[in-house]
Amino acid sequence: MQNAIIGGILASVACGVVGSYVVVKRIGYLAGGIAHSVLGGMGIAYYLGRPPIEGALVAALVFAVVLGWVSLKMQQQEDTVIGALWAGGMAVGILFISQTPGYNVDLMSFLFGNILMISSDDLLWIAGLDLLILLIVFLFYKQFLALSFDEEFARLRGIPVERFYLLFLTLVALTVVILIQIVGLILVIALLTLPAAVSGHYVRSLNLMMLLATVLGVFFTTGGLALSYQPDLPPGPTIILVAGAFYLASLIITRFWKRV
Amino acid sequence: MSTDSVIKIKNLDFSYGGPKILENIEIDIQRNEFIGMVGPNGSGKTTLLKIIMGVLTPDKGTVKILGNPPSQSVQEIGYMPQFTPFSRDFPISVEETVLMGRLGKTSSIGFYNNADKRAAEKAMNDVEILDLRKRVIGSLSGGQLQRVLIARALTCEPQILILDEPTANVDMKVEKDIFDLLKQLNEKITIIVVTHDIGFISQYIDRVACINRTLICHPTSELTGETIEKMYGAHMHMVHHHHEDENH
Repeated sequence: MQNAIIGGILASVACGVVGSYVVVKRIGYLAGGIAHSVLGGMGIAYYLGRPPIEGALVAALVFAVVLGWVSLKMQQQEDTVIGALWAGGMAVGILFISQTPGYNVDLMSFLFGNILMISSDDLLWIAGLDLLILLIVFLFYKQFLALSFDEEFARLRGIPVERFYLLFLTLVALTVVILIQIVGLILVIALLTLPAAVSGHYVRSLNLMMLLATVLGVFFTTGGLALSYQPDLPPGPTIILVAGAFYLASLIITRFWKRV
Repeated sequence: MSTDSVIKIKNLDFSYGGPKILENIEIDIQRNEFIGMVGPNGSGKTTLLKIIMGVLTPDKGTVKILGNPPSQSVQEIGYMPQFTPFSRDFPISVEETVLMGRLGKTSSIGFYNNADKRAAEKAMNDVEILDLRKRVIGSLSGGQLQRVLIARALTCEPQILILDEPTANVDMKVEKDIFDLLKQLNEKITIIVVTHDIGFISQYIDRVACINRTLICHPTSELTGETIEKMYGAHMHMVHHHHEDENH
């Protein structure tokens, strides 16, 4: 239980920071594609007897670059290609898992996560990825901000926009790998976008949005954990429902507020 | 040959692989000129601007910006785009938006430094929006937002300012305010402005560059309904503007 709470807090850092960019740049669908296609890598790692997180990491990075390239070069069919890679990646994963001898208990925890089973090793992984993400965002904050605000202008000012876009998508990939440990890959996209989206209702700058999104992420994960504990519900979906409920409430409140 | 040539284009052709978009373009823009660029939609105005800014490479001909090829002169040009591609609910302040003009000039890692902040402050002061610096861009009026975008273009301390239809979405009062501001800035900076409203801007500009695949330059005094009609290839009304507050 202690590991689960720490895991939730560590994951909230990544989802607050990277999720804010995903929300303002409106690439939730692309992030969803990365998250789901990662199952391919996890399935292959599982089949080879390696830790699934290793496969997830490799697959997330590969798919981030491929999907990034697709969205840069094939803007006309971007959504179709993302959809194909999304489903294709999952299909590969399921095939490999089905060919692995023994119980396939892990499939459910890949898909829906199991924050209660999180090990100290996993926590180290998550903390390391957090640090890497924070370092990169700290170094290139202004380029990422310009890129998500006004890509054309950034290009005219001599920023290598394509390179930064791909770097940004690798950050999304790292975050996805972290979040899979918490809520599983099906629900990743909700935890990646909902805290940032709620935060965006109230703040007026991107760095505050990241900060508030991180705090909200901690609140949603610990809150979901606490709610699921007594009735013995799966924590991943409970966390997502808490986040979703807050998002809807916040949406309604802010809409109402503006109208008054 | 004048030594104060800021933009010199000779014998330039451009196509996107198909028919020529621009043909045999020649222009020599002098320091502190105020050029109005007009032409129907699809006539190649924005394409020519992109060539000047080094985003597109011509098929033929030479382009010199301050004596250098465009790719080396990016930092000398401030640009204000025609459309605002960003969403108005983006959580960003006026100051942060204006600071973006420093990209390419400031260090590539870390945050903006004090020199950047001073340049942004000066630009905001020049366009009279310093009191809006902490405001979020979503709360600005159309005219205020245009000023923010001009300040962003000025923050790189450019020698040339290029504006693509800066007053397309604002009312006439704001349009006049913005051109008065540009006229002031023009004392130090060479300005090229794309517009459809030739009748109105003729009182501000020195020359009109008429583009419709080819380019013909007219001194403002030569502008008549006939030249404009020829250029747009259709009948067009010259609108005469009266501004009551002109003498204030």
